[in-house]
Amino acid sequence: MTLLAQPATLCSMAAAVRETAISQLRRGVLEFCVLALLRDGERYSYELVRALGDADGLVTTEGTLYPLLGRLRREGVVDTTWRESPSGPPRRYYRLTPDGQAALGGFVIEWTRFRDSVDALLGNGVLR
Amino acid sequence: MTTDTLHPLAAEYLERLRRAGRGLPPGRRRELLAEIEGHLSEAIDPSASDAQALTVLDKLGEPEAIIAAETPHQDELPDRRGTREWVAIILLLLGGFIFGVGWFAGLILLWSSRAWTTRDKWIGTLVIPGGLATGVLIGLIAIGAPTKRFCRVIASGVQHCTTAGGQSTPSILGVAVFAFLVLAPIATSVYLARRAG
Repeated sequence: MTLLAQPATLCSMAAAVRETAISQLRRGVLEFCVLALLRDGERYSYELVRALGDADGLVTTEGTLYPLLGRLRREGVVDTTWRESPSGPPRRYYRLTPDGQAALGGFVIEWTRFRDSVDALLGNGVLR
Repeated sequence: MTTDTLHPLAAEYLERLRRAGRGLPPGRRRELLAEIEGHLSEAIDPSASDAQALTVLDKLGEPEAIIAAETPHQDELPDRRGTREWVAIILLLLGGFIFGVGWFAGLILLWSSRAWTTRDKWIGTLVIPGGLATGVLIGLIAIGAPTKRFCRVIASGVQHCTTAGGQSTPSILGVAVFAFLVLAPIATSVYLARRAG
């Protein structure tokens, strides 16, 4: 079936593959953005989700960030405590663990290299 | 539950999420619902307009998408029906014949695996403790006790008995119980194999 597909279909398939690649890139980076938001101290879940949701092009559905926070807890890079809120249900506060700090430090170095290389390549390719 | 302090649309959303999350491990479902409930109560004032509420819910995404993100993925389940899982299934089924010890070894493998949810693990534990050996043992005792009979169990679980004396006919209830004790662990093994795959 794929062999008989029209060029237009192949084109849209390629577009879909590219879209998946972008969303994977976003997902891979997102967890380090959570860690970065916690660098200066603890925050509760809703604050984290709003900060990430307000960043342009980073998050498409805010709700899927909660499962990500859960995974970071299970991996031990963040630690949490529940506290009463002045209004509404209790809030879950997140803070970095030493493991989380180390993970963030490593990512910052790698990301800077990665970003500079990609920027340099994109710049050359596009501007020529 | 504090759902009465939520906007009606937020409460409805939370209910959809609760229903969509039935397949999740209970602890993860509870934590996720608590977090989303906190989000809804902060983001939507109970007196907000429907349009404001819908804007927040749109940004939050479909409940099904959130549940899909929470559902354990391939990378979180490295042992999806690997060797350990097969050994666990076989030991739970047949390990009881190794002086009962084999079944306990299977139990340890079952609970230490990440390929199954807690619910699956309870099914594997409770249906039926001891595996096939329990059914066979109970069958032997039931048949052997009243009239001195010598029974051999063939690999397939079928009993071959020779009686020294009159043939006692087992009651229908007895046969049904025996059939259940044999079939239930087999069904559990098939279930566990499918759930891990």
